[in-house]
Amino acid sequence: MLERVKRKWYYSVIVSLLVLLIVIPFDWFPGHYTTIMVLIGINTMVTVGLCLLLGYTGQVSLGHAAFYGIGAYFSAVLSKTYHLNPWLAMLIAAIATGAFAYVIGYPIFRLKGNYLAVATLALGVIVYILFGKLAPGGPDGIAGIPNLSIGGFAFDTWFKRYFLVWGFCLVVLLISQNIVNSRSGRALRAIHGSEAAAESIGINVDRFKVKIFVLSCVYASLAGSLLAHSMAHISPSSFDPMVSVIVVVMAVMGGLASIWGAVFGAGIVVMLKHELLLGFGELEIIIYGLILMLVMIFMPEGLFVWLKSSYVKLKELYIRWRLGQIRRGAET
Amino acid sequence: MSESILETRGLSKAFGGLIAVDKVDMAVETGKITAIIGPNGAGKTTLFNLITGVYPASSGDIFFQGKPLKKEHAHTRATLGIARTFQNVLLFGNMTVLENIMTGQHPRSRYGFLESAFRLPKAHREEETISLNAMKYLNLVGLGMHAEQNALSLPLGQQKLLAIARALATEPKLVLLDEPGAGLNILEKRELSDLIHRIRDMGISVILVEHDMPLVMGIAEWVIVLDTGKKIAEGTAAQIQKDPKVIAAYLGEDED
Repeated sequence: MLERVKRKWYYSVIVSLLVLLIVIPFDWFPGHYTTIMVLIGINTMVTVGLCLLLGYTGQVSLGHAAFYGIGAYFSAVLSKTYHLNPWLAMLIAAIATGAFAYVIGYPIFRLKGNYLAVATLALGVIVYILFGKLAPGGPDGIAGIPNLSIGGFAFDTWFKRYFLVWGFCLVVLLISQNIVNSRSGRALRAIHGSEAAAESIGINVDRFKVKIFVLSCVYASLAGSLLAHSMAHISPSSFDPMVSVIVVVMAVMGGLASIWGAVFGAGIVVMLKHELLLGFGELEIIIYGLILMLVMIFMPEGLFVWLKSSYVKLKELYIRWRLGQIRRGAET
Repeated sequence: MSESILETRGLSKAFGGLIAVDKVDMAVETGKITAIIGPNGAGKTTLFNLITGVYPASSGDIFFQGKPLKKEHAHTRATLGIARTFQNVLLFGNMTVLENIMTGQHPRSRYGFLESAFRLPKAHREEETISLNAMKYLNLVGLGMHAEQNALSLPLGQQKLLAIARALATEPKLVLLDEPGAGLNILEKRELSDLIHRIRDMGISVILVEHDMPLVMGIAEWVIVLDTGKKIAEGTAAQIQKDPKVIAAYLGEDED
């Protein structure tokens, strides 16, 4: 019964998302909304990865921008400097990022809680500095990154990129949703619940942490590649440590333990950043902080779960009202 | 004596200067209910943690079904067939009752990230067995009605039953229960001893640490007594109750 209700929710969300996605990029919207929608899709991919890691497994990462950046830089350098096919560049970027995450995953996940947070933060800072000092282009970054294309069809307008990015994004969302409701997903949630208990029932805690970290970093890398090939220009400032914090804000807003919430979180934050807070400059970060606090206090499970439970409450009220009506009808 | 499922030889654990478990030799018979008792701080829980691999032994060996365990990780010991519960229960609070038990099936299923990500047929098949088995253990401990509830919404007595069900879901050969009776009322304790008998009848060997003497004496077929990390006595419940060393350990010795 409950399972069926859950599934109904799941599909209605997917269907409404699809409808939204198809409707939104049409002409009657001002052009730059398409660009914003592309950015939302890219940010959603990073956020979903963090949700899996932080929301489901309980392992914090304050350095996700590093992996986002590594993906973008690999894609940019391989496709522009070495003239590799952008798709191949993207694939190599994902594999390299995954391998890097795997190698540092084992030592870094020996740390717990605050120590893990500080270590990942430090990682983000180090990688950011390396982008500026060692990567081609230095602080100016790389320009003229080629578009992705299939055969002769190039994703050269925002309208086309919009479908490309959201195609990737939906696949990432579906895969993540499937993982959460599976044996592996239960193992991850068990680690969040109690590591000692998880070990005691045969879950290899260290390995699962590293595996989900790798997956989460591969998502970030794919998002980074999409960003590089869409914007045609990247620079270290797109991956500074603040970006990692903003990803956390997106994840918390949508609901840490909610895959589809990531879309909401990314959507709201990107809208804020590129529309509502344009004139705020440095103040922007204060507003994010404020939002983070308000969400934590009033909707600790995030906007998505909050909407869901409000919907259930409203429905309950409606049913009660209907029942009253029927009862009154029977009396008269 | 018949064949033993678990054996320790000279097993010791020191935390800095404190010797929590001191050269314990013991053998646990297959298919029996064995109780480990002793005053507070006797090293019972430490002994459990050594057997389940929470931390490594300082010296000595552990054999499970004749095979040395010392090098195995905690999670591989669970796969080999050693399950346990915890004094402080440690349920997964972010899951339903049923999901807690389904998670217990982890070592008896194989499908991984790839199969779950793309919902491959293997995932479907295994998931079906996992939920069927989980329902079986859920009903064994009588929590069938609470399947979809959050695990921590249960009262303590039922939480402890759920923890046992989760341990049983790993399909163990040996289950270690750490103070299963603590905090339960008389009725719940009676249900608990029934359940422990049923577990034994399923062919699973049981070791329990317990302070409740009537409960221990009622169900244990063999009792091992620890005091300050050392094994001071073992025998049937009747023998233990008459042992002067045991009485001294519990009531305090006369100083001469």
